[in-house]
Order: sequence, then C-alpha cells, then structure tokens
Amino acid sequence: MERFIKKRLDNGLNVYLYPTRKFKTLTFSLFIHRNLEKENATKNALLPFVLKRGTKSLPTARKLSRYLESLYGADLGADVVKKGERQIIQILLDVVNPDYLGQNGDFLDKCLEIFREMILDPYIEEGSFKKEYVDQEKDVLKRIIESLFNDKYNYAIERCLQEMCKDEPYSIYKYGSIDDLAGINEKNLYEYYLETIKTSPMDVFAVGDFDAETIWEKLNSLFKFQRSEIPLKPVSVKKEILEERFVEEKQDVNQGKLSIGLRTNVKYGDEDFYALLVLNSILGGGPYSKLFQNVREKASLAYYAFSRLEKSKGIMLISSGIDFENLDKAVDIIKIQLEDIKKGNITDYEYESSLKDLINSLKQAKDSAPSIISLFLDGVINGIEENIDDYIDKITKVTKDDVVRVAQNIKLDTIYFLNKKD
Amino acid sequence: MKLLDGMVKKVLGNGLKVFILPMKNYNKTIAVYSTKYGSLDSEFILPGSEEKIKVPEGIAHFLEHKMFDMEYGNAFDKFSELGAESNAFTSYNNTTYYFSTTSNFYESLKVLLDFVETPYFTEESVEKEKGIITQELKMYEDDPDWQVYLNLLKSLYHAFPVRIDIGGTVESIQRINTELLYKCYNTFYHPSNMVLFIIGPVDAKEVLEFVEKHEEKRNLKSQKEIKRIYPDEPKTVFQKEIKIRHSVAQPLLLLGFKDVDTGYDGEKLLKKDIIIGILLEIMFGKSSETYERLYEAGLIDDRFGFSFEAYKDYGFCTIGGNTRDPEKLANEIIKNINSFKTKGISREDFEIIKRKFKGDFIQSLNSLDFIAHSFISYYHRGIDMFDFPLALEELSFDEVVNYIESFFDEDRMSISMVLPKG
Repeated sequence: MERFIKKRLDNGLNVYLYPTRKFKTLTFSLFIHRNLEKENATKNALLPFVLKRGTKSLPTARKLSRYLESLYGADLGADVVKKGERQIIQILLDVVNPDYLGQNGDFLDKCLEIFREMILDPYIEEGSFKKEYVDQEKDVLKRIIESLFNDKYNYAIERCLQEMCKDEPYSIYKYGSIDDLAGINEKNLYEYYLETIKTSPMDVFAVGDFDAETIWEKLNSLFKFQRSEIPLKPVSVKKEILEERFVEEKQDVNQGKLSIGLRTNVKYGDEDFYALLVLNSILGGGPYSKLFQNVREKASLAYYAFSRLEKSKGIMLISSGIDFENLDKAVDIIKIQLEDIKKGNITDYEYESSLKDLINSLKQAKDSAPSIISLFLDGVINGIEENIDDYIDKITKVTKDDVVRVAQNIKLDTIYFLNKKD
Repeated sequence: MKLLDGMVKKVLGNGLKVFILPMKNYNKTIAVYSTKYGSLDSEFILPGSEEKIKVPEGIAHFLEHKMFDMEYGNAFDKFSELGAESNAFTSYNNTTYYFSTTSNFYESLKVLLDFVETPYFTEESVEKEKGIITQELKMYEDDPDWQVYLNLLKSLYHAFPVRIDIGGTVESIQRINTELLYKCYNTFYHPSNMVLFIIGPVDAKEVLEFVEKHEEKRNLKSQKEIKRIYPDEPKTVFQKEIKIRHSVAQPLLLLGFKDVDTGYDGEKLLKKDIIIGILLEIMFGKSSETYERLYEAGLIDDRFGFSFEAYKDYGFCTIGGNTRDPEKLANEIIKNINSFKTKGISREDFEIIKRKFKGDFIQSLNSLDFIAHSFISYYHRGIDMFDFPLALEELSFDEVVNYIESFFDEDRMSISMVLPKG
C-alpha cells in the first residue's frame, strides 16, 4: 500500500516521502509554518513573491525562468496559504521524471539544487534583499489584495469570515493588509526571513516514482542547516454564540451573494470530525445534498448552493448566488435544512450518497500528488498523521446518530449578504 | 520508458466512436460522452429534410442541463447512489457529459449512456430550469474576467456566433421549449456525431464489449455529417476597441488577433496550434525580455497571460491581464509584436521553448481529468492529442518564423478593456 514514510533531519526538519509508480513527475513541497498574526501576516505573504525574483546563482526572475524552461519546463513556485490560524509559505517543485526524458540523475540534482537555492539562498545585495525587488513586489501584493474586490464570489466569502472572526486571528486575510505594507523594506524583510527560516516548523514532502532512500539522502544533504524551532500557538475552535449577526454590504453587482458562517466547535483531529464531514456533505456537499436539492432544484433560486468546512478552524461556510429579492426565502430554506439534520430528518439516500461521495473523493485524491500532500499536511497541522486509507476507514464508521449528535453543536454565527446599490 | 500504452479504438456500426485508454496504477476511472454540438450550432438543416431552422441562443447549454432529467427522476441522483461524481459542460463547439468513480464503474457507465441517449423533457421542468440558468448567467455578469473575454470576441467578430455567450441571454432562454429541445437533441445527439472516451484502471476489451452490446440495442444506422449554417464572416474585425465599466478595483486588458487562415482541422490545425503557442511564449513568456520589462514597470504581474484557440471555422489569440494602465500595456504589446516582426526570433529561444513544451506535455499526463478533457476537445477538431510530442519534435524553425508576419496583423486586432466605475 502506498503511504508516507516519515523521517527527521538532525535540525528538526520533517521529511515525508511517498514513493509511487503513478506519476510522470516528481513533486517536492516545502512548507514553512507561521502563526497567523497581524504583526507578520503581510511579511509572510510578501516573502514568496520576493523569493521568486531570483536566487544566488540566477539573480533575476528572467534568468530563473529561462533555466527552468531548459530543464523541460520544471515548475518552481512559491505561495502562501492559510490553514486554520496558520499562514504557511509553500515552495513547490514539480519536474518530469528524468526516465521519460532520457536524462540521468544529474538532471534531478540540478532541479533540487535550484529548489534549495530559492529557499535558502535567495538573491542578496549588501546584506539584504534587493531593494527594487521588494518595492516592486510590495506593489504587486497591494494589487493582489485589492483585486479580491473584482471577484465577488470569493469577496463575499472572505468578508463573511472576516466579520465572523473579527476578534480572532482567523479574520486576517492570507495576503495580509495594504496598511502593513508601508512598514516593510528590504532590510527588515530580510531579517524577518532569516528568523523565519531558523525558527519556523518546516516540512518537506516528496511524491513520485523514486527510491525513498536515495531521495532522503539528497534532501538530507540539501537542508541540513542550523535551526532552533519555536513551537506555534494553538488554534481556538470553540466559541459561544450569543446572537446571530446579519451584515449587509452594497455594491454595483448583478446578483446577490449570500454567505453564511457557522461554528461547528469541532476540528480535524477531534473524534467527532469524521461525523462533521458527513454532516457537511449531507447539507451541501454535492448534487444529492439538501442545499442543492432544496435551494436549487426545488425552489430554483440559485445555480450554486453549497457548504464547505475549514477543517483546521471548525468553521462551516454556506455560499449561494441569488436574486436580491430572494434573500429571506433562501435563508429560510437554508435554516430549515440545518434544523432537519438536527432533528434527524436525514434520508438513507442523503446519508449513503454522502458517505460514498466522501470516500470516492478521497480515493480520487490518491491520483493527484498535490492532493496527497495537501490532505496529509492538514493532518500534520492538527497533530495527526493520517494516510488516506485510515481516513476512509473512519468515515465508513460514521452513523446517522453520530451526524445528529454533532449537529447539535453547530451554531449559526454570521449571515453576510452582498446586495445591489439602491 | 513509454509515456502511454494500449489505447483501444473502434467506430461502432451506428457511427459512435469509442476510445479506451487503460491506466493501471490509478484509482479512478473517467468516462466522457461528448457530442459535437455547441453554442455555435444555432442554425442548421434538420436531418432528412431541407428545412433550415434557427434556434434561440443558449439552447445547447440549456439542453445540457435538461439531459439529466429522466422518467425515473434525475441521473445525478443515480450517480450519487453509485458513489460516482458526475457533471457536464457546454462550450462553443461541444457538449460533454462525464463521470468519475472509484467503484461501480459499469453501473455508472450504464447510467451515463442511458441518460445521454434518452431525452425526457416536460414543460414544467423546462420552466423551472429557466430560473436556475438565469442565476448562472447573472453569476457570469459579475465576473470581469469573463466579461473582458466576451467583449473581445464581440469585437473581433461581425457575425460568427462565437461572439455570443455560450449560455445565451436571460431573454433568449425564455423562448426555449420542449419542442425545440427535442429538435436539437434529435439532430445532434446521433451516435455518428458523438464520441465516448474512457480512461482508468479498466480492461479495455471488456469495456468495449460492454459498450458495443449496449449500442447494438439502439438499432441506429450511421448518419452523415450534419449540415450546420454559419453566417459569412468578413476578414476584418467588427470594432478595434471596446471599453466597459464594471465594479472592479483595477482595469483589465485583453488584446486579441483574429485568425483568418481557417477552414481546416486535423494535423495541420495541430501544427498551427503549436506554432502560435511557441510564438506567444517567445514574445510574452516569463523568460522574455518584454515580460521582465513590463513586470518591473508595474504594468503586469503573475496574472498576465496569453492563449490561442484554434478551431476549424475560427481562431483567435488573446494577450493580457490585470493592469493599472490598459492603454499603455496595449501599446507595449503592439510595440513588442512589431519589433519581433522586424528582428525575428532566435533559434535558441525556439529550441528552449520546444523543450519546455515537451516537459509540460508529459507533466500534464499526470492528470486523468486533463487527458480526458483534452482528448475530447482535440478529437472534435480531428486531432489525436497523443500526436503532440511528434508534431512538436518535427516542427522546424522556418515554419514558425513564417507565421509572425501573417498571423499578428494589426488590421485583425481588437482591444477589450474593463475599467473601474466612476
């Protein structure tokens, strides 16, 4: 059976290896875990942009791109993701397995060396990042933060979460804030970067058709630098809801965007998590779900109506695009669906389809290297290291009663509506 | 190592084309059932008659939504019961239905074949669907990326129906009724106009037998190519420029060239597809001098991109992205093209981009979904996607050079902009 082999470098860096015959490329991901906090969020978001601008041996983005093209279009990227109350900087390398190119081991070494350089040997001038790069990337990041406004669908989801978690770190946007950009320069960002590399928990993942021992040796020699890790803060999941909030915003839009945030009081790593997954699937996980059947098919109010979970924070989010005048109707129907689950009004069709859909999705996830990595990383963040087959096993055991029990703890927190201008 | 192996192909007695590609290491199997019928085909001759018919815009997409209806209920529900995930989409050129599953493959395949082969429409369900599709259209109205793209096509074309939204308009879909849906179904869903592609850990021979048996029972005879009527399209563009205001934080620019060297598909079309792809990459890719300069000037960022759409009856390329100054960016793009027309491209650039394309192709084969959807899209254009590596290999420098002058003709260029409101 294919599963992760865990190893640990002397400096505390975790290495997870997943040998498989399946893929035609070798995928490497390095994750740098940071607390999600206002003070550093914008710096964490900016770092991947600056790292992509150049390395010690390839000092411009253009030279770097050209080199990667010559390595048969190797992908080397960097980005930031938010999972629970962590901001995670991700450096990713995806290269064609040299066996398909008639290339020897040297090819992979070249790819891995540039991967290492992007993380540990970025381009430096006079003891700091290059000023132009930082200034230009600050401007890019500003534009990216602003452009959330262009994407009304995601804007409505993000705004709902911000309102709902006002006093919690979770309200911080994954790209930080424009206000905090002003205080960042090439010097303090570089100092922050050195600190980050030294003190952050880090994981490296490798997936592909390789010999685990060989890849372990390579990674071991590439990443054995001095570090001293500082543990991260735990995430807060449980929250008392005193009253339901309604937030409305008005813009020049053609369709109303409804987002509803709920507290489940359960996160990945808790015993009840698997029942929550099934619950979410019954409520809004697919065409068999209560939201799709009732909001779309029966009432024809919407094209899309779904719910999803933020596994590491215990939040459930419902989203739907509707006509402006149908707000009350849609909210009523949505609330009835959740109440029905609480009362145990779950048909065999809904329950069984949900289980099957979850299991099918997890089995399908094994066909994609990024999915294999992302699912396992979710576990690592929440203190459990779980392979997909174990995950499936636990879902299979969830009963309807479990779902009803978990439903009792779900509380509606915030209803957000993006309305048209009067 | 061989990239792929063992594809089984057959044209059945009723004209249906079947392709089965075994992929033994994977978990999921995908089956795609597609008809060469898209939003472009709104005027045609009814088979067996001389009668010309023009149907409302958006009917192919509407039909796609309604195909899931069966006398027994809804095909979506059947897939859910079997643990399979199913969906469909309509493009300008084809309508495609598919499922992916890790269990109950044959049962799921039967559901797919049955529902696509059985039209069942009632007035009531057709009326209900109008509400759902109206919300789908409104969702796209709020999407500036889609708007800038649609407007570019509206500007490039005088009459060719690629200038009309795939889904039609809120007005046009009101004119759709069961009678029209049956007419379109009976014309375009004949097996001679369709293709079935299956990929996954299956026994190809066994699957072929299953499909043959199923298709024999339908008792249909192979039919000739359907006569589609397209309006005459001048070689010029409809308008040079279009600007709209939208609720966005930053402007968007999309510049396009209309391809007038049309009327063929197959190998020749594949070659053109690769050539324009290479030219765009050399002129505007991440390793180009222009990308570097525009990026450093703050005119573009990572979201800058380009594409080429090559079909038998039309073709166009797009270049653009988010920018603070769309006028200036448009000028820079034109300037860059003109400079390449004068100086040509270098052999070194050509060789490196070829190498990148080769790697990208192998990389894309990791994803069964990608293979399935590309296969279908290319198939309808008379192209076998697996011919790509050889066509790329055989491409000579001179063939590429010749295209710069003829394709990037300023008389066949339009510019589409989306600007922030007030």
